[in-house]
Amino acid sequence: MNNENRKLRIALTKGRLEKDTVGLLEKIGYDCSAVHDKGRKLILPVGDKIEVVLAKAADVITYVEHGVCDMGVVGKDTIMEMSGKFFEVADLGFGRCKFALAGKKGTNFYEGFNVKTIATKYPNVSRSFFEKKGMDVDIVKIEGSVELAPLLDLADAIVDIVETGTTLKENGLEVFEDVAPISARLIVNTVSLKIRQQEIEELIKSIEENL
Amino acid sequence: MKRFDLITPEGTKDLLFEDCVVRNGVEKKISDIFKSKGYCEIKTPGIEFFDVFNLRSRYFPQESMYKLVDNKGRLLVVRPDSTMPIARVAATRLREAKLPLRMFYNQNVYRSKSAMRGRSDEIKQMGIELIGSDSKRADLEVITTAIEVLSSCDNDKFRLELGNIGLFRKLVEKLPVTEETREEIRSLIEVKNYPALNDLLDSIGDTEVTNSLKQLPRLFGGVEVFDKAAELMNDSEIDQILAELKALYTSLLSLGYDGKITVDLGIVNKMHYYTGVVIKGYLEGYGDAVLSGGRYNHLLAEFGYDVPATGFAINVDAVSTVLKRKETVKVPVADVIVFAEDGYVIDGLKLVSKLGTEGKIALNSVFDTLEETKNYAREYGIKKVICVSDKTTEITVEG
Repeated sequence: MNNENRKLRIALTKGRLEKDTVGLLEKIGYDCSAVHDKGRKLILPVGDKIEVVLAKAADVITYVEHGVCDMGVVGKDTIMEMSGKFFEVADLGFGRCKFALAGKKGTNFYEGFNVKTIATKYPNVSRSFFEKKGMDVDIVKIEGSVELAPLLDLADAIVDIVETGTTLKENGLEVFEDVAPISARLIVNTVSLKIRQQEIEELIKSIEENL
Repeated sequence: MKRFDLITPEGTKDLLFEDCVVRNGVEKKISDIFKSKGYCEIKTPGIEFFDVFNLRSRYFPQESMYKLVDNKGRLLVVRPDSTMPIARVAATRLREAKLPLRMFYNQNVYRSKSAMRGRSDEIKQMGIELIGSDSKRADLEVITTAIEVLSSCDNDKFRLELGNIGLFRKLVEKLPVTEETREEIRSLIEVKNYPALNDLLDSIGDTEVTNSLKQLPRLFGGVEVFDKAAELMNDSEIDQILAELKALYTSLLSLGYDGKITVDLGIVNKMHYYTGVVIKGYLEGYGDAVLSGGRYNHLLAEFGYDVPATGFAINVDAVSTVLKRKETVKVPVADVIVFAEDGYVIDGLKLVSKLGTEGKIALNSVFDTLEETKNYAREYGIKKVICVSDKTTEITVEG
């Protein structure tokens, strides 16, 4: 709850974003030793006034949306897929990659009049991308390596996160088109920002200064 | 075929006992406040024609409404909001009534939300509408009522926030951009997405207007907001809106809710609906606004009755959730259970009624024996059994 006596609670996306955020907090001067020796703990203190909660990306949004965490660090990819009601106050600059439309090298995706099939882990992102183009597509949700779908001829193309493009290249695929750039974002619960304005604004300011 | 006979639809829930006690308490408290200020209750149908909610100033995306088709093939919706039906009533049956009209409502609204997000589709809302006055006195009346309602829910930990949608509207009007881009700017201000807003405005140009729009979502807090806002662009209309908002804010401060009344110049939701002062209310322990409202001077004109109006709605379920977490509420235990021997059942029921008129909670025992009645009393913590026969005896039940 937004209890004024409780520590400011920040939900971090486990993994790389967590490490980068901890690095940022340390640069600002917070003691993050508890996070380094976390063991299996999921809620950890950072200095006296903050605690971090480690969660999966989509859950970061859920916890922040409900106000049980005041702030969160989550990739733009998850924000685009999940949407939700919160303030997105800063682009943290790390975790940079992009959403891209990709398929078999040398093929022309837009050729022909048949309805294209898109394989993706991000059905909402894919749907809104093609909606803007006024294009009807069939979307197939895939959980694992999406690259398989065009190779096995299940899909004409994929919409997925591309970092270096190595996986695509090694499997004979290429990027047709960029969909959207991605990076880590700092999000804030809409009520927390108002009720704990001073604490949160100070933290945002020091984060912005240390990016 | 899969059967769904043991569960409720997504986004709905059953409210049991304590939940009802808490919610009824909230409803009574709020409706007492409304009634004491001369607001009269109005109930509108649970289903309405889709067209009522499909006006220019609509803010309900069609995918968020539950729809039905009537027996003539016309599209209906399950009421997603109470203000539009009330505007419809004001513009039709109340058209000849002397203005201003003061109305309040206490009814469910239904909005289809994405599943599994932990929010309800069925929400109990209460609210007031003050129709037919554009006076600042009307704004003050509605806002002080909102403050009174919030403080009656949680005197220590509420916030009421003021804004004026006119600021954004005046600024964005000056930009040479399409309606779509304006909407994009608005939505970025609404979610306080500072980086994306800056990028978008930079691409439009480095002018006084774009710089002011960049500042807008950051302008929230106490009275200092007005000093910072003075750095916004110089424009007589904008200055006037700010001056009026500051005057409103200052007069509200004299109510004595120190630090609980704040300002956010970046409130830009429902832009086609609100026309001036907007308010939002928060309670600690709920992650979203519990109260929202403001001035909507163009809505009634869409029903063919061009009069100004203002009002607010409060989410009763959200308030109940917050209160239930703070205090343990118990359903009152029956004072007594009445057991009647064979042949005295009617006498027993008469006694139950008599005790009821005396303000007691009296249960009628449907068991055949006194022993079973006592066991039942023990299970439910009822302290007293009255046994009705040729002579009536009282038995105290030990825990």
